[in-house]
Amino acid sequence: MKKLLSIVSLLVASTAVFAQGARDLKLNEVYVYSPVCSDSSQNASYVDEYGQPASWIEIENTSYSTHNIRNCFLTINPAVLDESLSAPEREKLMSEIPAGDPRTSLSAKQRITFFADGNVNRGTLHLNFNLPVGEPFTVYLFDGNAVDLLDSIRVEALPAGSSYARIDGTEWEVVAEDKVTPNAPNQILKNKKIQEFKEKDPYGIAMTLMCMGVVFLCLILLFVFFHIFGWAMNRASMLARVRAIRAVHNQASKVVEMAKQGTTETKGIDMETYTAVIGLALHEYFGGTHDLESGVLTIQQAHTTWADKSHELRVLPPHHQAVELKK
Amino acid sequence: MMLLESVSAMDFIGTKFADFLTYTGFANVEWANVIMIAVGAFFIWLAIAKDFEPLLLIPIGLGIILGNIPFKDAGLEIGLYEDHSVLNIFYQGVRQGWYPPLVFLGIGAMTDFSALIANPKLMLIGAAAQFGIFGAYMVALALGFEPNQAAGIAIIGGADGPTAIFLASKLCPNLMGAIAVCAYSYMALVPVIQPSIMKLLTTKEQRKIKMKPSRQVSQTEKMLFPIVGLLITTFIVPSGLPLLGMLFFGNLLKESTKTTRLAKTAGSALNDIIVMLLGLTVGCSTQASEFLTWNTVFIFIIGACAFVVATASGVMFVHFMNLFLPKGQKINPLIGNAGVSAVPMAARISHQEGLKADSRNYLLMHAMGPNVAGVIGSAVAAGVMLGFLS
Repeated sequence: MKKLLSIVSLLVASTAVFAQGARDLKLNEVYVYSPVCSDSSQNASYVDEYGQPASWIEIENTSYSTHNIRNCFLTINPAVLDESLSAPEREKLMSEIPAGDPRTSLSAKQRITFFADGNVNRGTLHLNFNLPVGEPFTVYLFDGNAVDLLDSIRVEALPAGSSYARIDGTEWEVVAEDKVTPNAPNQILKNKKIQEFKEKDPYGIAMTLMCMGVVFLCLILLFVFFHIFGWAMNRASMLARVRAIRAVHNQASKVVEMAKQGTTETKGIDMETYTAVIGLALHEYFGGTHDLESGVLTIQQAHTTWADKSHELRVLPPHHQAVELKK
Repeated sequence: MMLLESVSAMDFIGTKFADFLTYTGFANVEWANVIMIAVGAFFIWLAIAKDFEPLLLIPIGLGIILGNIPFKDAGLEIGLYEDHSVLNIFYQGVRQGWYPPLVFLGIGAMTDFSALIANPKLMLIGAAAQFGIFGAYMVALALGFEPNQAAGIAIIGGADGPTAIFLASKLCPNLMGAIAVCAYSYMALVPVIQPSIMKLLTTKEQRKIKMKPSRQVSQTEKMLFPIVGLLITTFIVPSGLPLLGMLFFGNLLKESTKTTRLAKTAGSALNDIIVMLLGLTVGCSTQASEFLTWNTVFIFIIGACAFVVATASGVMFVHFMNLFLPKGQKINPLIGNAGVSAVPMAARISHQEGLKADSRNYLLMHAMGPNVAGVIGSAVAAGVMLGFLS
């Protein structure tokens, strides 16, 4: 049973990890190449391994851990949204990202660009479809099971040379020709947090208040929990001791009662058994189980002549001398 | 012919020997190296002769000497900052922040939180002492450091070497050597810095306050503490996960009573290995060229301020708490200094000062409460600053 439980929990945990990893893969930028309009464009200089300009779709690993995009699917065919389709049927409508190429392993915040030129024979980075020029379309990114949709984006007809890019993590906008960024971040990243603190909290007062607030909050919560829990534990242990004492009291009184009866009628039970039971009860009462004590040690002073202060005096006080003389 | 051969052989030997001399430390030494070697020797003297935290200062002291042995930069892969050198491999533990969580694992496995669980209000002293961190943050900002650098420097006020290294490696790796050496130096100097501040802020009568012995803590409470502590602190400050997670993990190993072997290893052999490597590489990272700068001087000044503020705020907070506590339950303000997380040095100082005031006043166990709360508090503070600034 234990083994089964651990296997189930491991499976659940691994599923969660996989799901989390795949969801971090996001469509990041889409560029449509038009031979008629784009040949003069500077973006036509972004070419594939064969020196050919083509439309492309950029995917980003938005997490801080490495994920492999192999066996995921890309498509612009809306038919894949038909829920009645089986996984193999969906796969036929999509372009699969091949396994076995180290480039598909994306480290933290890394991007990969796939050329939508309809020619998968050209390699891992080529898709089996083209992006339509001058028409809106939607790009879908599916997980390796061809069922779970990881991300999708609707792209309206784009002006020549421009792309459609994700800015600030969520918002998409049409990016001008000179700001198209294949295989690169869509905006220059700065540590805004440090800049904000520098500008808005030059003396560190806000930081002090916020951080000390959080530190106190954490420790106050711990204090409250263990204060209440400690009280409950104390109470529980006191109740347990009271219950134990009551049980011993009851036991002792019953035994005494039995002993009293035993003197008149033992009903075949040997008196030694009664004696043993009484002995055990008394032992538990005086030794094994303690009653409630104040925890304060006191010494009852008993006056003896050995402890008489007068023995410590080298000269007796006048009152004492008078008593001695009378004697 | 023989003469010619012997002359060319002598030339060869002479050239090679002259070349060898260019590799020696004597040929490459600079005054800065000599100063740093003297600093390293001073640390070792403090550790051996004065018994100032020898477990920390001996590895750091020798590391400082090791890191400042001058040599010719000839790609021999021997220096700390050279890729693939042995020292560089050890240094990655500091650079990437692996050592601090492992040290926290050891601390967790060695720490008994009973004093804190028995008297949970002492946790608040551990929180109050973190004012040292933020006092230092303000001073660092005033001296012109960037907010991320100021935070890295300020954490010295937590008196927690591993936390300081962890935060500095994330927020300001270029200042990490100076921050680490400063943090560990001041931790070793806790017996010098704290007592005078404690005496200054307390009266004789206050120092004589006797605290009631703590109640007995059940094993259930001890086992529950790391789990509840982990949940509460990391749900609020997930950025403190590496430190807090390992601290409470180590403590659970100890208190579960089922993993005694693991707890023993984490608290002894593993911890000792990490402390050795950490101390040595932190010391090595103080190469004169990197270390002898005005920034280092400022960091040491700010560090001193941070320790003073942390100690003072802990003691003053006890005074504040005493205003609300009934007569028989007053807290001895001498345990306020233990709110910094130098475990168990700060608690030991409370105890010693308590004994000086009254030879029958034993404060060690009471001081351990705020002391271990300080460990949690400084890790939380580091996590919060990391969350705000990274």
